[in-house]
Amino acid sequence: MSDAQTFTHRIQAGSNKDISEASKRSVLLTDNLWRGAGIALLVALWQVGVSVGWINPFLMGSPSGIAEEALRLLQSGQLLDDTLATVSATIAGFLLGSVLGSICGLLLWFSRTTARIIDPFMVALNGLPKIALAPMIIIWFGSGMFSKIMLAFVATFVVALLSAYQGTHQIDGNMINLMRSLGGSRREVFTKVVAPATLPWIISAFRLNIGFALIAEIGGEFISSDRGLGRMIFVAGNLFNLNVVWVGVIVLMMVAIALYVVVSKVEKRLLPWDHAR
Amino acid sequence: MNAPAVRAFSTEDLESTPPSRESVISLQGVRKTFHSSDGGAVEVIRDITLDIKKEEFVSIVGPSGCGKSTMFNIISSLLEPTDGVIELSGRDPHCGARIGYMLQRDLLFPWRTIIDNVCLGLEVRGVSKSRRYEMAKDHLSRYGLADFADQYPGTLSGGMRQRVALIRTLITEPDLILLDEPFSALDYQTRLVLEEEIVSILKEHKKTVVLITHDIGEAIAMSDRVAVMTKRPTSVKKVYDVGLSRELGSCLKARSDVRYQTLFDQIWEDLDIQVAGGAA
Repeated sequence: MSDAQTFTHRIQAGSNKDISEASKRSVLLTDNLWRGAGIALLVALWQVGVSVGWINPFLMGSPSGIAEEALRLLQSGQLLDDTLATVSATIAGFLLGSVLGSICGLLLWFSRTTARIIDPFMVALNGLPKIALAPMIIIWFGSGMFSKIMLAFVATFVVALLSAYQGTHQIDGNMINLMRSLGGSRREVFTKVVAPATLPWIISAFRLNIGFALIAEIGGEFISSDRGLGRMIFVAGNLFNLNVVWVGVIVLMMVAIALYVVVSKVEKRLLPWDHAR
Repeated sequence: MNAPAVRAFSTEDLESTPPSRESVISLQGVRKTFHSSDGGAVEVIRDITLDIKKEEFVSIVGPSGCGKSTMFNIISSLLEPTDGVIELSGRDPHCGARIGYMLQRDLLFPWRTIIDNVCLGLEVRGVSKSRRYEMAKDHLSRYGLADFADQYPGTLSGGMRQRVALIRTLITEPDLILLDEPFSALDYQTRLVLEEEIVSILKEHKKTVVLITHDIGEAIAMSDRVAVMTKRPTSVKKVYDVGLSRELGSCLKARSDVRYQTLFDQIWEDLDIQVAGGAA
């Protein structure tokens, strides 16, 4: 009879100590490497396809053509001007609409009657594609950047209002009773319970509104404008200059990502308790 | 129908109950009927007559759905009774007695740090920031929570959060503390520990307490008196003198006393809960 063999696996305390931080960083690094490699491969295939003749650069554009146009537009300063115009109008409209909308939504907490009466209007406005209002707004405010700000404002206001108002409905009534039992006034209930409890809803509306503000902005520029990335894309598209269209699209993507990162940073600052778990 | 309240204590066996006899809250013939939108009326509470004396710990035990939360809202003055009188006496010139409460859910505000949660009542009352922080730190360190002052509630365990909720209540020095199943969301061990701790804290502060609960054992282990309620429409069925934890100095000891089981059986009988079927 042979001896039964025993196996021992020893787990040393403390050996896993820094695993989370270090491994998180290395996972992020390899993920980014894969992402970069994917993009590089796509661009390379595209370029090869164009030079071999499988891809028609007139209909698709080409990486080298895009790079050339990008360089040209950068050197002339036009790209920067257009980007600045679009970004500043988007941010102005986005902030105006999101902030005012959130404040109005919060204030509706004070009057159930008002909220009940305007509710169907808000739902109707929320369902309406705001870009349908663009021709009117451009007639009223001209084809300059102010009309684009107003468009982004209209597109974001209702979303922020509805989100904040719905947020005030999700508050635990017991928290409000608690404030009342401690002798808190209606105003204190609002500032110490309603407003902070609704903040996560407000932030999530802000996040959605980045997209809505950009849609309104670019849509408005398509219809009538004197500058901006939307106008650049629209004009180049009409001229079948696909490379310039690509430059505009890529810059817009970078703008969207940058705005998203900013909102996430703001969220971390405003909602520290959400990240303390 | 039984008489609404059976008062079993005589002057001799007052050893176990506190000496002071003025009542903090007295309910006389309190009735509550809710009217539904289609014109029907639902009688939730038929008659509650109950006197709670200063520094006394009284539990209200009832079967499920006996209008517990209605009772709670009436006692805490969030709801007005349809009939009857409620008298509160204490140090508050406006509403007689200040009532602090503690619920099953701790209701700590997740956006406030522990110390700011504790300070909530003082803040509403307009106590200056430095003064209220000083008071809060004092309370927190007394109950071993000083290290958590700057943390958010999300990082604390259920038992710790309930302790913070109790401190938030105590720091405003209420005349009456109303507990609404404060332990039912906790695991059994935490519950026993917290039971003990809360009874000793409340006795140390000479607080008058009303505990509303389903848990017969908890009521017997903690209280001076237990009021047993009937099913809806609710009235007081019987009032038992208990005082085991006061006499023995501990809830755990109360739970292992011979009288505990006798009381438990009697109250169980009173609640008249059908084990098979019947009860929802």
